[in-house]
Amino acid sequence: MIEETKVEYAKPIPLKTIDNAPYWDAADRHELVLQKCTSCNTYAHPPGPACAHCGSQELVWENQGTDISGTIYTYVVSYRPFLPGFENDVPLVIAVVELDHLPDVKIIGNVLGATAEQLDIGTPVKMVWQDITEDRALPQWTLA
Amino acid sequence: MNQIRDKYAIVGVGESKRSKNSGTTPLHLALDAARAAIADAGIDAKEIDGFMSYCENDSCSPHQLATYLGVRPNYVKEILGGGSSTEMLIADAVGLIETGQAKTVLIYRSMNGRSGVRMGGGGWSSDLLQSAFEGGSHIIPYGAASPSQWFGLFATRHMKQNGLTQEHLGHVCTSFYEHAQRNPNAFFYGKPLTMEDYLKTAQLSSPFTKHDFCLESDEANAIIVTSAERAKDCQSKPAYIMGMAARRAVSHAHYWKNIDEVASDYVAKPLYEAAGVGPQDIDIASIYDCFSWVVLRQLEAYGLAPKGEVGDFVAAGNLKIDGQLPTNLAGGMLSEGYTHGMNNVLEIVRQVRGEYEGTERQAKKHDIAICTGWAGPDMAGAMILRK
Repeated sequence: MIEETKVEYAKPIPLKTIDNAPYWDAADRHELVLQKCTSCNTYAHPPGPACAHCGSQELVWENQGTDISGTIYTYVVSYRPFLPGFENDVPLVIAVVELDHLPDVKIIGNVLGATAEQLDIGTPVKMVWQDITEDRALPQWTLA
Repeated sequence: MNQIRDKYAIVGVGESKRSKNSGTTPLHLALDAARAAIADAGIDAKEIDGFMSYCENDSCSPHQLATYLGVRPNYVKEILGGGSSTEMLIADAVGLIETGQAKTVLIYRSMNGRSGVRMGGGGWSSDLLQSAFEGGSHIIPYGAASPSQWFGLFATRHMKQNGLTQEHLGHVCTSFYEHAQRNPNAFFYGKPLTMEDYLKTAQLSSPFTKHDFCLESDEANAIIVTSAERAKDCQSKPAYIMGMAARRAVSHAHYWKNIDEVASDYVAKPLYEAAGVGPQDIDIASIYDCFSWVVLRQLEAYGLAPKGEVGDFVAAGNLKIDGQLPTNLAGGMLSEGYTHGMNNVLEIVRQVRGEYEGTERQAKKHDIAICTGWAGPDMAGAMILRK
């Protein structure tokens, strides 16, 4: 019997759906892509089956690259895990981040390695990608 | 919209026993609540020809309830919902009565909210959660699965931008706990909360301590809605419905792009227009209180306290029974019990009637009342009642 030494990732892995797969596929490549409506020029995040602003189906995916920065729009610090797998992650920082180059887009993530005292509205952060399994990666934030 | 002001009324309210472990089914609880509401109205069960409920797949069906009351109604309806569903179903009931499809409608919420399916989570599949919420794949992997975290994101920014502090949240909690000390049926009856104790309590998820979270309880609540004309034949004092506005939605229930906007902001205007009164006319309130901060945000949304002065308003004791706006007088969901808002509806009806007259529990002035529901930042509903 082969001994299993690999540590399994115990937290929820983002579910790819018909609407969001390009976002998560790009994340796996450590890139950010965003869904954009070409009818009203609004970025749609989270992505959806149509534009949540105007209802148009004229949607494209736009590559934003790998150098993504933003500022904290709001945040919470959780001292208890509300989902299995997060027992060792408390205090857990969950932040809504406003992208510097597209302030209309807000992306939620954890701010890795940050303590409550280091956080405020407007605190600068940058996107990093956390490899969570062999073929999946999770966009995250760290203090800039 | 047709003018419905004062043409409909809530004529019966009732509840089952409230507990942490009912040892019975939601159907039994719903039957107890329905029988109590029917007795309160002083009508025969067979006079009810519409049954409606909201649930999270954790209840019994209106068809079952009607069946075991021995009633074969014209109309049954069950929706998925939570906060603000009561107000929305009352609006539906009024529509049915107005168009002659029903005469008297019973609306209930029944749940083993503590011993069965708990809103606070636990035991849910993470994959299910990702699919259940719009944008769920973009929040669940980050550990954001509790309403305390979703609403906390709104609270953090709103509080920082409006000078609101932990102590202001504490004023909401201590005011409602104080009311619970006058309500022997409240979970926290006999368990008062001082500001000192509140401020010593650790946060579970910022900015909320355990006191800022609502309770979880096993119970059922029921109300009966009928026309003002039929209300005359009931034994209870009617609480007349002056106006309603239900469920103005903003985009994305669980993924927050614009945290400065909540659905309640959009309910206020049509609500006051329908009722023909303004916030200055309101004597007492039931404000949906799944979390303490939600109360502060709604006081602002409904113009009950001026934006930017909400903190001072609650710090001055205005939510207490002798304040400017006695609110959640049975203790609210923070300290009485939790049926996704309906227990707050029962209390406001009883206050409007003056049912506690002669006791310390009755608000002095109780002519006009507001009752609000908050499903989340995405959906809200509210109504205004009068005696």
